[in-house]
Amino acid sequence: MDVSQYLEIFIDETKEHLQNLNTEILNLEQDSENVDTINEIFRAAHSLKGMAGTMGYKRMQTLTHDMENVFSEVRNGSIKVKGNMIDILFQCLDALEEYLNLIQESGDEGTNDNEPLIRQLNEVLDSREGKAPAELKAAQPVKKAPEADGSTQKWLAIKFDETQKHVLREAENQGKSVYGLTVKVQEACILKAARAFLVFKALEDLGEVIISNPSVQDIEDEKFELDFSLIFISDSPLEKVLQAVKSVSEIEDVQGAAIDDEKLKEITGTGADKAGESVPAAAEQPPAEKEPEAEKQPAGTLPVPAKQPPASQPAAAKGNEKKNQVSKPAVNRTVRVDIEKLDVLMNLVSELIIAKNSLVSASGDRAGSGGVNEHIEYLESVTTNLHESVMKVRMVPIESVVSKFPRMIRDLTKKLNKKMELYMSGEETELDRTVVDEIGDPLMHLLRNAADHGLEPGEVRKAAGKPEVGSIFLDAYQDGNNVVIEVRDDGAGIDTEAVKEKAISKGLITAEQGESMTEQEIMNLLFHAGFSTAKQVSDISGRGVGLDVVRSKIESLSGEVEVKSKMGVGSTWTIRLPLTLAIIQALMVDVGGEKYAISLGSIQTIEDITPDDIKTVQNKEVINLRGIVIPIIRLSGVLDIASKKNPEDNMTVVIVKKGDRLAGLVVDQLMGQQEIVIKSLGRYITKCKIISGATILGDGEVALILDTNALF
Amino acid sequence: MDDLKVGLRGETTQFIIVRLGDEQYGIDIKYVDNIVRMQHITRVPKVQTYLKGVINLRGEVIPVMSIRVKMELPADEYTKATRIIILKLEQHGDIGIIVDEVKEVVTLDNTQIEKVAYESKEEKDNFIFAIGKYADGGLISLLDLNSVVLEKESI
Repeated sequence: MDVSQYLEIFIDETKEHLQNLNTEILNLEQDSENVDTINEIFRAAHSLKGMAGTMGYKRMQTLTHDMENVFSEVRNGSIKVKGNMIDILFQCLDALEEYLNLIQESGDEGTNDNEPLIRQLNEVLDSREGKAPAELKAAQPVKKAPEADGSTQKWLAIKFDETQKHVLREAENQGKSVYGLTVKVQEACILKAARAFLVFKALEDLGEVIISNPSVQDIEDEKFELDFSLIFISDSPLEKVLQAVKSVSEIEDVQGAAIDDEKLKEITGTGADKAGESVPAAAEQPPAEKEPEAEKQPAGTLPVPAKQPPASQPAAAKGNEKKNQVSKPAVNRTVRVDIEKLDVLMNLVSELIIAKNSLVSASGDRAGSGGVNEHIEYLESVTTNLHESVMKVRMVPIESVVSKFPRMIRDLTKKLNKKMELYMSGEETELDRTVVDEIGDPLMHLLRNAADHGLEPGEVRKAAGKPEVGSIFLDAYQDGNNVVIEVRDDGAGIDTEAVKEKAISKGLITAEQGESMTEQEIMNLLFHAGFSTAKQVSDISGRGVGLDVVRSKIESLSGEVEVKSKMGVGSTWTIRLPLTLAIIQALMVDVGGEKYAISLGSIQTIEDITPDDIKTVQNKEVINLRGIVIPIIRLSGVLDIASKKNPEDNMTVVIVKKGDRLAGLVVDQLMGQQEIVIKSLGRYITKCKIISGATILGDGEVALILDTNALF
Repeated sequence: MDDLKVGLRGETTQFIIVRLGDEQYGIDIKYVDNIVRMQHITRVPKVQTYLKGVINLRGEVIPVMSIRVKMELPADEYTKATRIIILKLEQHGDIGIIVDEVKEVVTLDNTQIEKVAYESKEEKDNFIFAIGKYADGGLISLLDLNSVVLEKESI
């Protein structure tokens, strides 16, 4: 079956299940007796297995199958949850994620069997209470074995009534062959009845199905386990019949044999009672066909033999993965949208059409032209709402990103040997999908930083009178047109002296510069490329590429990041991101006859000042606004254009903020607030850093958008 | 009659003939997306002088450059005949160039196009990749658009 069309859904859902498992296993670690948690885990693992099987990802299926075994024992209470087991389970989740990544990149799960993990899982299984490990190992194959034999030859057990016997005799007289077939559907198959129907359909092209077990009705109602048996009359050779059945997808196996004359006589003559005893056809079964069963035996068997390197050679496997990765990227990015959001969108579009129609009729109707304004206002409110809901469709909660962090912190706890807890809030805060996809890495880095550098070792904390367990907070909330994400720790804080020394020794600043810098400025040095104060480079953080990458990533999303810290109390990293990147509210200003847009989000206030208010400090123009000294930037100078205003006149100053800092932009005139659509200036104009884009005004003219962050 | 001859000689290329000052140049038509009348160009600060700014072309923002400035010719004088030719270039996206006048479209076959060997060090010559020869003996410079739009720091 071509399942490629389901690949995207598969990947999305697998991610969800994995995330779910991560969260729930964490819960399990906290509260190992919670039945709900265990059930939830079991369900997720089971669906995961089913999905992987349906998609034909055998290795993924095998691994999840064994995980499921463990969960099942936990659920039955025969295994107790232990730290060691949780670790193994997490490793399994990582392995599954690796499969998923490979699938996402190349559409193939790769060749890593993760055999060691599977073995560990089985060891966990072996350890279940009250049962000797050997017993289990022995029990499993034994349990499977009869099933294998029984299931493959179940048709032998079919009983015939008189009519059917008659039909069989007839067929024999006509020289047709009679076959017994047992069809086994894949365990993961969701629509078993549909598959069975397809099998019947395929067979009907070749001959006639005399009888089936369970009955046709039961099969249609899906009242069968994984296999069904039937007796079939046909002119075609056995291979052709088997082939026809196998061509139906999700059929795991089909066993069949011709019922020879002798046997037929036996059936038609003396009844079917003996059928179960005599197994002449069994010999005809090629042993290889039992392989699917063998696959399910956990310990050590390679799921797909021949074509792959042994799992004990991860290097070789990695090589193969690399090769696979070169091939096509398998997945497009999608957004799964809440149906309610789409409904709102649809309603708005209909309203828009109505508004447009009323405008059309209003303009045609001279007498009623007084109503045009009213209609236009209506149209305006509809389009604004429309924009908002389109925006919302693109919005996803940051939960999808942050929910992996508790797990990460848990791992770090073990790795760093520091006790810490992660407290998260505001996971439901929504951001544009594109932003959410990108924000994960920077956040992860900040959290690792907090865990590694921020929090002190337990003894130090105790000595300082703090609780031994460190706390890391991740808070997200919406603030106007921005979303703010804060990473906070109650650790040692940033040692500005150490930072300063380091910066001087790295040649980033001179000693004199260092003297005159404020604490805040020194902390901002941390975002400099190639800066790391960790005395030891660990694999958790401290490679010195981190924070500047964090900053550039966030700036590429039109956001900003800043840090605040107090020695001995902790540090706070604040990320500020715009809600949307496509349409913004802007203030239009006039500078020397040219129109510019300033994003409303960055504007603090607008002030009217006299030329006398401007003071000069260190050759820079500043104003003292209600006690705060704010540097003044004359936009006409920055934009290389002559101001058209009389220098004697009062000046209009737009106060903009970048983080905590303020600056006053002198403009000629304010033109009003407007919703603008951001357009790129194109690939060709790259030199202009102070312009972040352009927009097209109502009259068709192009106005440029000032990037106020670049002015500081 | 001319067309027939051209057809017989094999591959042909169509060029839009434009005027810049006193000279005429040919632009390969396959790069031309559009020709629009002169319109208001929004200046972009802090960019190369030959970049005149951006225009709104049916809702898209397109940068516009002056070939005259790039070629170090006297600055543009906008007249009624002035046009902006919108070029579609793979490397740079859409770019508009300002020409004094658009004259006509000519079809030249390969034998009529003579590649230029670069001997002159003069900047201006580097914008031309070949000389086209009309059937009647007239000559036309064919613009090498990639070097025309190539970013240059010096100007």
